[in-house]
Amino acid sequence: MAFAPEQTYRSPGFWRRLRSGNLTEAQLGFMLLAPAALVLALVMLWPILQVLWQSLHFERLNLPARGRPFIGLEHYRRMLWGTDMMWDLQHLLGWRLLGLAALVAVVWAGARGFLTRTTAIAGAIVIVLVAGLAMGFHPSPDGRWGDARFWNAFSITLLITVASVVGSFLIGLPLALLANVPSRWRWLVRIALLIPWAMPRVLVGVMFAWLFNSTNGVVNDVLRRLGVEGPLWLARAESAVWATNITIVWATSAFVGLILLAGLQSIDDSLYEAAMVDGASPWQRFWCITLPLLRPSIAVALIFRTLTAIQTYDIPYAMTRGGPGRTLETLGIYVANTTNSLNLGYAAALSVALFGMSLAVTVLYLRWIYADD
Amino acid sequence: MRQRHGPLTRAAVVVGTALLVLNGTFPLAWMILTSFKDENELIRIPITYLPTAPTLKNYAQVFQQLPFDRFMLNSAIVSLTSTMVCVLIAALAGYALGRLNMPYRRALLTLIVTTSMFPALVLLVPLYRMFLGMDVPLLSPLVAFLHDLGMSFLPTEVRTPNLLNTYWALIIPYVALSLPIATLILTSFFQLIPRDLESAALVDGCTRVEALFRVIAPVSAPGVVTAAIIIFVNSWNEFILAMNFNTALSMRTVPVGITMYQGEFAFPWATISAAITVGVLPLVALILFFQQKIIAGLTAGGVKG
Repeated sequence: MAFAPEQTYRSPGFWRRLRSGNLTEAQLGFMLLAPAALVLALVMLWPILQVLWQSLHFERLNLPARGRPFIGLEHYRRMLWGTDMMWDLQHLLGWRLLGLAALVAVVWAGARGFLTRTTAIAGAIVIVLVAGLAMGFHPSPDGRWGDARFWNAFSITLLITVASVVGSFLIGLPLALLANVPSRWRWLVRIALLIPWAMPRVLVGVMFAWLFNSTNGVVNDVLRRLGVEGPLWLARAESAVWATNITIVWATSAFVGLILLAGLQSIDDSLYEAAMVDGASPWQRFWCITLPLLRPSIAVALIFRTLTAIQTYDIPYAMTRGGPGRTLETLGIYVANTTNSLNLGYAAALSVALFGMSLAVTVLYLRWIYADD
Repeated sequence: MRQRHGPLTRAAVVVGTALLVLNGTFPLAWMILTSFKDENELIRIPITYLPTAPTLKNYAQVFQQLPFDRFMLNSAIVSLTSTMVCVLIAALAGYALGRLNMPYRRALLTLIVTTSMFPALVLLVPLYRMFLGMDVPLLSPLVAFLHDLGMSFLPTEVRTPNLLNTYWALIIPYVALSLPIATLILTSFFQLIPRDLESAALVDGCTRVEALFRVIAPVSAPGVVTAAIIIFVNSWNEFILAMNFNTALSMRTVPVGITMYQGEFAFPWATISAAITVGVLPLVALILFFQQKIIAGLTAGGVKG
């Protein structure tokens, strides 16, 4: 059978190629990607689906007799709305709703172009800060409006996110500009930038708790030498929130600085020369060349900073254990505490809230980046 | 070249740089100074900046009060194992994404990097449940069904082992958490290796896989080291999962262990600062030796991400 159809050439299949060690590039590529895909699917994606499912179930490991019944959105109702919600105007028109409405209005106005973007962002930040400060320290004891602990944690997390992200940029940008100046001491500068990044965040918290110690700490000693009596930093919520934010800014501004430094180093020197020939002042050079060209790096640093700030856990935990009392309990600490008290169903619902926040932030930022490019 | 700056500008830069260095190093330096002071010296009221009577007592205390050597061992085992596993997996993925002509390359890389934006905290509850031991989906019902059919030698359910308070409870999530950034770093390093090198190996009769291990692997060593350092630092520093998964004292890691020196109201600062000094020593050593590599790795992640 000289020309039977079986004799025509057929490209070898996957298994034959695998056995002979001659996979096509695409086949080899997918094989090499398989372990990474497996790990990410099993340890990242599957748990996230699971936490969504878990949040719809009642489960307390210390009450095994109750089992794991399906309860629908009951956890979310308890978290956001409360179990014995009363429909009176006083509650509906409470400042929480007002603050939220103002925030929505500002964001909407910014999106529609009634306000410039800078004004909208600044307005949103101011509203969040004021609302956070106003409601953060007064968890209502009756818990009538939703889970008071949740709302407290939510506002503290918002406050820490806004304050520490803004703070780490205000500190990180000068750090990057300074580190970009060529000098003999560059290695020292580099180490000074790397140490805050590499320190475990908990230990940063412990270190600063000692610095902020009200009687024997360095901060109050310096203040005393300047003739000011420093506050009892960590004992009162109002000052503890600042101490915590300063610590977070210290730990994270170095990271922002490193990312921005990389951006600065990729800017072409000839642009500055051209600007100098044209007689631009240093301020103009910074404003018209450095800042616009730094935008991609700023966006990256902003996204990563915000996402890590939403999960803030280590530093407030190490400094005050989420205290004094429960006033500085962030969402992260609340999730962990609920897990530790073995109420896994509710902890899952709280995690979903946290996940929702970071998802919302990511989507907002990505839209902001892609809208302009 | 840049223009010469005036003396005022130069002075400002020098002062700024000095402040920067002071800001970055002072808290750690203060911890080290504190660790050499006596417990009584710490509560003196005009505080002393340099230790008046340096003592090593606190370092002995660190190891006497809690099994700190055990914490170090746990941290070392967990971090090193997860670093090795993660580098291996990330190198394979990075090679595929950086060097091979495969479809959807950019989309796959974006997908992997996006997973790094998932908050680790969200993993706390599902992984806790998973490590506590759970029915294996599909397999467990199947085995139970066969058992009911009469194969009584089979168990009625298949449960995963309880991994809490073992090294695996930390290694598994650490590998997954560092995988996206490591893949990103290694992908950008693999892209920098000239293609001719590999083509030459292929012409000489290597297969793709042989070329990967014999030619590409040695050349890519710097990239691998960079990725490894960053994974190591991430794993050494991780707190939330370590705190909640490994609750037995003998399975604590260094960052968690250090927080255990403080009691409800007592803060033995001298001991705590000695423990911190010992605990961050490996990290500071890494930074001193590999500062340039670390910055290269961080910025590869930053610029491309």
